[in-house]
Parts: sequence; C-alpha cells; structure tokens
Amino acid sequence: MSFTGYPPPVHLLADLGMEAVLTTHTTARVRTRVTPQVASPGGGVRIGVLATLVDVVGGAIAARVLHPDWLATADLAIELVGPPVGPWVEARGSVVRRGRTTLVIEALVVSVDADGGDVTVDGRVPEPVAWASMTFAVLPAKEPSVAAELSADLPVHWGFRGGALDGPVLDALLVTVLDGPAGRVSVPVRPYVHNSFGALQGGVIALLAEAAGAESLGAAQGRDGSGMVVTDLQIAYLALGRVGPVVSSARVLATGPDGRAGAVVELRDTGADGRLTTVVNVTAEPTDVVVGVAG
Amino acid sequence: MTGASPHGGPGSRTTVGPDGEVVDGAPTDPAVDRRRHVSDYFRLERWELPGTVADGPPAIAGRTPVDAHLRGPGGGLRTGGLLTSIDSLGGFTSGLAVLPRWIVTTSLMATVSELSHVGPLRLRADVLRRGRNSVVTSLDVVDEGAGDRHVAAATLTCAVLDPDAMTLEFERPFVLAMPEPQIDPVPPDEFFCIEPGEGAVTRLRLEDQLRNPWGILHGGAVAMLADEAACRATLTAVPGAGPEHGVAATDVVLHYLRPVKVGPVEARCTVLGTRAGRTSVRVAIHDVGSDDRLVTLGSVTVLDV
Repeated sequence: MSFTGYPPPVHLLADLGMEAVLTTHTTARVRTRVTPQVASPGGGVRIGVLATLVDVVGGAIAARVLHPDWLATADLAIELVGPPVGPWVEARGSVVRRGRTTLVIEALVVSVDADGGDVTVDGRVPEPVAWASMTFAVLPAKEPSVAAELSADLPVHWGFRGGALDGPVLDALLVTVLDGPAGRVSVPVRPYVHNSFGALQGGVIALLAEAAGAESLGAAQGRDGSGMVVTDLQIAYLALGRVGPVVSSARVLATGPDGRAGAVVELRDTGADGRLTTVVNVTAEPTDVVVGVAG
Repeated sequence: MTGASPHGGPGSRTTVGPDGEVVDGAPTDPAVDRRRHVSDYFRLERWELPGTVADGPPAIAGRTPVDAHLRGPGGGLRTGGLLTSIDSLGGFTSGLAVLPRWIVTTSLMATVSELSHVGPLRLRADVLRRGRNSVVTSLDVVDEGAGDRHVAAATLTCAVLDPDAMTLEFERPFVLAMPEPQIDPVPPDEFFCIEPGEGAVTRLRLEDQLRNPWGILHGGAVAMLADEAACRATLTAVPGAGPEHGVAATDVVLHYLRPVKVGPVEARCTVLGTRAGRTSVRVAIHDVGSDDRLVTLGSVTVLDV
C-alpha cells in the first residue's frame, strides 16, 4: 500500500527509515531502528518516537480497513513497559473494533532483530517495550486528501526511505524550548512534519508533548528535561495544527516521593488564533528511577 | 450505538432508550433508581457552573466525600471509584453539551497523581471539543481537604447518539445535592458484585442495580472491575508486589467498545511488565453471556503503595 505523494521524500517518517508490512486485512507491523538519534534520556527509545511508530501502524491498518473512507486519529495512549533489547523496535497493530464512526486499534511494541524475528534474552522473549491503543475517527469518502492504492495480495511490504537522522530527532523537528518550567516548547509546521492532511503529524505531536512534559516536570524537581523520562502519553487530538508554530504549555499536577510526576500539556496553533489542537496527559519519572537502558 | 456506557442524567425524564425500548424514566425495581444508583453510591454532588448555560458548552463541577468504606490501599478513594465519578460527571457534561441528543462514553484516559486523599474531592468537567459525532471533555480532580492538592486528570471521549433515540429534559442551571450517607454502607466489591478471587481473571455478576436506565452495565462499574482485576493480577503475577500496603491503580486507559447487556462479565488481565514498583496490565473485559464478546479493552498501571 502507498499513499500518493505521502510522505514526501524529505520527511520525518523517511528519516526514521520505517519499514512496514501489512500482514492481514486487519493487522500490520512497522519497525524502526534503535539509534542514538531517537534515544530517550534514560537510554531507551523516546516515547514520542514509539508513538510515531504506533500512529503509522494504526494508520496503515485503518486506511485499509476503512477504504474508501478516510481517517483521523482521535486519541492515542501509549505506555512504556520495558527497555528495548534489540537493534529494532516493531509496533504490531491489530483491529480491536470497527464501528460506524470509529475504529479502535491496539498495538504492542516489541524488540526485534534485523530479520524481524523476536529478540530473546536467555532463551526467553523479554517483556514488550510498550503497549498502545488508539481511536480513529471515520471520515466519509467525499474528497479524500490522499488516494490509497490497495493491493489484493497480502502481505504487502513498503518502506519510508530517506536520509537518516544526523542528530537528535527533536533537533530534526526544529523543536525549540521557549520556557522549560512552563512547558513552552515550539515546533514549526512544515512539509517535513506534515501528515496526509498537510497538518502536524500525530507522532510529532507526541514528541512535542513528550518534550514539554519532560521540561516542566524536570524543572519542578530542579532538573532539566534530560533528567526525566516520559513513560506515559494519553493524547486527545482535537483539531489539526495547520499553520504553526504549534506551541505547548504544561500544568504540573503532582510529584510523588520517588519523583514520578504528571502534567497536562496543551498544544495550540499560534498561527491559527491560538486554537487548541491537542491535550495530553503526561507521566514521567526521573532517569535514575527508570528503566529503558538499550541493550 | 457505538460504545458501551451511555449516561442517564440525574433528574432527567427518559422516555425512549437508544434501542427503541420504552424506559419512561423510572427504574424497573422501585428500590433502585438506575438514573443515579451508581453515582449515588459515591455521593456525587453536581452543579452547573455560572456563565456557561446560555452560550457554548456547559461546565459542571462535582464533589464527592471520601467515606471510610471507599478508601483503598493508597489511603484515598479507590481509583475505580474515582473513575466512576469522572465517568459520571464527564458523561453528563458531554450529554448536556449536545442536547437534545445524548452521548455514550467511548474512551476514558486518566492519570492519578495522588492516591492518598483527605476529602472531599472536587471535580470539574469542561468540554474541549463538541463535534457532530463526538464530544471530548477534560476533567480535573483536586482534594479540597488538602488545600486543593491535585488528584487526577482525565480525558473522556463520547460518541453522540441518534437524536431520535431519547428525550431528556433538565432544569438549568443544573444542581444535584450530595446524597445522604448510607446507613449501612457496603464495600465497593460487594456493591459492584465483584466476586472474590485472585489471579488473572476477575468476574462481576451483572445484577440489576448495576444497569443504567438503558439496561446495560454502568461505565463506572466497568472501571471499578478493571481496577480490581488489574490489582489482583499484579498481586498474583508479580512476586513481592505491594510489600507494604498493597497496590493501587494509577494511569488508566479504557476503550468502551460495546454495551454490556447479559453478564457475567469477566476481566482477563495480562501483566505486560514490571519495573520500579510499577506494573503495566492489559485488561480485556468480556460479556460472557453475550457470546463472550469483547466489550472493553484497556490498560491499567498498578503501583506498589
């Protein structure tokens, strides 16, 4: 399956080198390499990158299941479970329920080797890297923004081929921290981060929320953003961020005795009268508490 | 109907249910008022905030005490109870926003930042987005007894129901006083008919008082079941879990996929992983008596407390 003209050759998804396979009519797998460019402060993969992976696998399934209708991500929740222990991480998605107006998809993110096989540790398959679920809104097919070319034969393989990231993923997105304690982080809206509607891609939104949450929650504990690992994102997509820059703000909720803390992050399209585009519940832990040291 | 948890409004007059059945606003059992039974258990008071009635979507506040029999291992209101109040208030707010249509909850995402509460807890629900097919509402919960310390944040998404499916009327601005304390309160597991047990599977009997005016299982009961099931699964599967006081649910995601009509209801848990006193549990809830169909899917993060 491919979407005509999307993503363009110079695009985040291409730079992440994602490889995908539609395994059945209702399941798919999408993987990306574990590299220093996508590493979280704790050493694992940034949850925003995993969310991007999940969004792509969900979108691939949804586009096929809903064809000729189109889709928009309505919500996405992801939580880290264990550290990645292989050279790749793979999101394995499947349909949970197809309704009249919504489609719910579940995805498990696991560690895989270069051949796509499960990585084992001491003869055992380790715990997954993350678990995610998402809801897609069904958009009736009037004038879909991109055309899906569906193959009748399965499996279908494809890849997003581009240049590799030559620096941290947040730098590639041109993310700028305006005010760390307030969680004010900015990202421009440009073709490199577009979704198929020409607005800010859902995974990029997750990355922005991750950065905003880490900055604000870190500041609340006397750390900078690199001292926190975001472990959970609960994202409600309310409107498209078409103009930009999209700027976040964060409200720190509370901090537990072990430093585990939560914030509510709001994203607004400052080029569209400050329209509220996204609300995200963010949970983070200090790097010395967590987790995700890449193997 | 695309989801599983439609909300009957307190003080409302329901005439026709979403499946066309006549409900007439009155419970089948006169001793049980299905419009309020579950939220009354948590003594949820509600009031519409000034200035939000005439234009735009409403904002509704609520208050619930933290009675002794409702406290969990964390020392505060059990997370399942918190989610029930969030679902009740958020669903009602969403419904008011789309009158004369009504809503059904399709997903609930919540993060609990404080498990120990003084009480009462004050809730506020604001509509973030009111679309043709769905309503998104944010909820905030603070502990009034602890200087408005933050307790939880949540986002509730509801699908809008066919306007021909029901007629609901409310006096505006809406006010509902806090119900009186129960004389002989029963613990949550007993009230919600959650069978005793341990392990990966927890079962709920679908007794009549747990049905809402539409005759299906209340979304709050589903949340309470998910909470209890995830905690039991953690205590069974994770050696040393809850070494001091036990375990409690914090971050919760629930997708209400289908209404629960028959029962019994089973929550089947898979412990995904554990680290630093924090366990991730996938929860799949099935209506056993309805061809065992999957009715709710979600995840619960369980913390040692």
